[in-house]
Amino acid sequence: MKSKIKLMTVVSLLFWLLMAATIWHQPDPVGLQIPAHWPKPHYDFSKNELSKEGIALGRRLFYDPILSRDSTVSCAGCHLSFTAFTHVDHALSHGIDDRIGIRNSMTLMNLAWSKHFMWDGAVSHLDFQALAPIAHPAELDHSIENVVQKVGANPTYQALFFQAFGNGTATGERVLKAISQFELTLISANSKYDRMILGKETYTEQEQNGYQIFQKNCATCHSEPLFTNQGFEKNGLPLDTTLNDFGRMLITQNAADSLKFKVPTLRNIEFSYPYMHDGRFRKLREVINHYATTTTLDRKIDLSATEKIDLVAFLLTLTDREFLFNPDFSFPKK
Amino acid sequence: MNNRLKIGSFLWFALLCILVLPNNLPAQITEKSFELHFQPVFRTQKINLEEPIRTSQGDSLALHTLRFYISNLVFLKKGKPVFTETNSHHLLDLEKETSFTLRFQLPKNVDFDSLIFDLGVDSLTQVSGVMGGDLDPTLGMFWTWQSGYINTKIEGFCSRSPTRNHEFQLHLGGYLNPFQSIQKVVLPALSVENRLNLELDLALLFEKVNWAQKPNIMSPCMDAVQLSKVLSKSFKVADEE
Repeated sequence: MKSKIKLMTVVSLLFWLLMAATIWHQPDPVGLQIPAHWPKPHYDFSKNELSKEGIALGRRLFYDPILSRDSTVSCAGCHLSFTAFTHVDHALSHGIDDRIGIRNSMTLMNLAWSKHFMWDGAVSHLDFQALAPIAHPAELDHSIENVVQKVGANPTYQALFFQAFGNGTATGERVLKAISQFELTLISANSKYDRMILGKETYTEQEQNGYQIFQKNCATCHSEPLFTNQGFEKNGLPLDTTLNDFGRMLITQNAADSLKFKVPTLRNIEFSYPYMHDGRFRKLREVINHYATTTTLDRKIDLSATEKIDLVAFLLTLTDREFLFNPDFSFPKK
Repeated sequence: MNNRLKIGSFLWFALLCILVLPNNLPAQITEKSFELHFQPVFRTQKINLEEPIRTSQGDSLALHTLRFYISNLVFLKKGKPVFTETNSHHLLDLEKETSFTLRFQLPKNVDFDSLIFDLGVDSLTQVSGVMGGDLDPTLGMFWTWQSGYINTKIEGFCSRSPTRNHEFQLHLGGYLNPFQSIQKVVLPALSVENRLNLELDLALLFEKVNWAQKPNIMSPCMDAVQLSKVLSKSFKVADEE
């Protein structure tokens, strides 16, 4: 009988310890540093409060090939931290079994300010974005149901889910919220441009001239300080008939949206080649030459050879090395 | 010794009860349990998955999937809300028959003469980020390549479908104009004590499907909008048995 009482006491104590851990466990909240000169983020953080543990879980998921059908490809396969969270070795992104997609992967940064995701804006909320590459047959070729099952059966993830959400069970909601938490931390706001705006640094004459050319010709679509108007625009590129990608029209089915694509940010553009939705330009000067010669847009951007060089000099001031080489954003070593 | 064991067990049980019991006992007295049951039918025949149905035109059909969202449920009296369900999103899935009975607490003396609900997920919820429960994207009701919930998913075979094995897939969704497919359903319904039975008759829907050209709908489009409108008119309060 004594042993029975002992056993019961131990079981009860374990039960109460578990209850206490569940009730009193509070993830460590994290507040993002929003630059003072930036607009209010679009993302509603009250519905997915950032925590140190949630971000760590999201980072691990982002870099874990467990998200793909055969556990060989992760999000980072196309979104490398040191190349502005995109890939630079292919015009079109490639995924599982070396399959090639139909678009150049987008950069990932300052996502809390984005209202639409993907080149055609097919995704309406950051939380849902990861669903698209997980399910795409040329990317991770998996399903969120299977991802949840796989990570849910993994004891390491069970512990991480418990730390992040006070519950060790993996769900679709928790997987996607954790990935969002990590991605929301990817803020690039410390380029030479930012330091110039804050009065901490000054532009060279060439950079300043390039900045003025930019403001006159490019800023309507690539609006400061995020260097995107978050909208969809025609970029004057002719249709690549090997891809037949009509952009935004594929979503709205409105002919007026034919060949409109999401305006990408220009931040860290030095590192995010190749350019455009189909990665057809490898060099910045090719992009500028396109805009300087296209006849399909409302107006051509007339630039002299010197002005083009000055414009490139300005664009290089959008590089944020602190962001690109931030150890908090790279592959988690633990 | 036995008594010590019994007392110990009782104390732990009592503590557990204190934790589990609701805090506001008097509130329970003012409420009653209520069930809203949905029965899918094809005219007078109850629909069960995989069970063949013969239409009056001589076609045969069978469903292997029937799922739809019911949201934002409100009971009204003379046009004024007398009960509004909070967090009101329900996925009804015929594979889980219990999901076709919604259970909630109504005010004990509530009197209503109609109810309103949405067939589908409202556009605000669609853009509010990922959610759990019946809205969890793992439940097969969320489009991955283009954000948005599938409001109604009906799959099966129909002899009128020209596709391979006469299969059809109707994934009716879309929350942006002009393909906004969520529909408001308004039903006159006299007050009943504890359970209200509704029927969803799919006969009209199957008449309206464009079998020749659109036996498969898998993206927001006008056909999805039109069929969603038809479905919204296909609910009724069941006759008393």
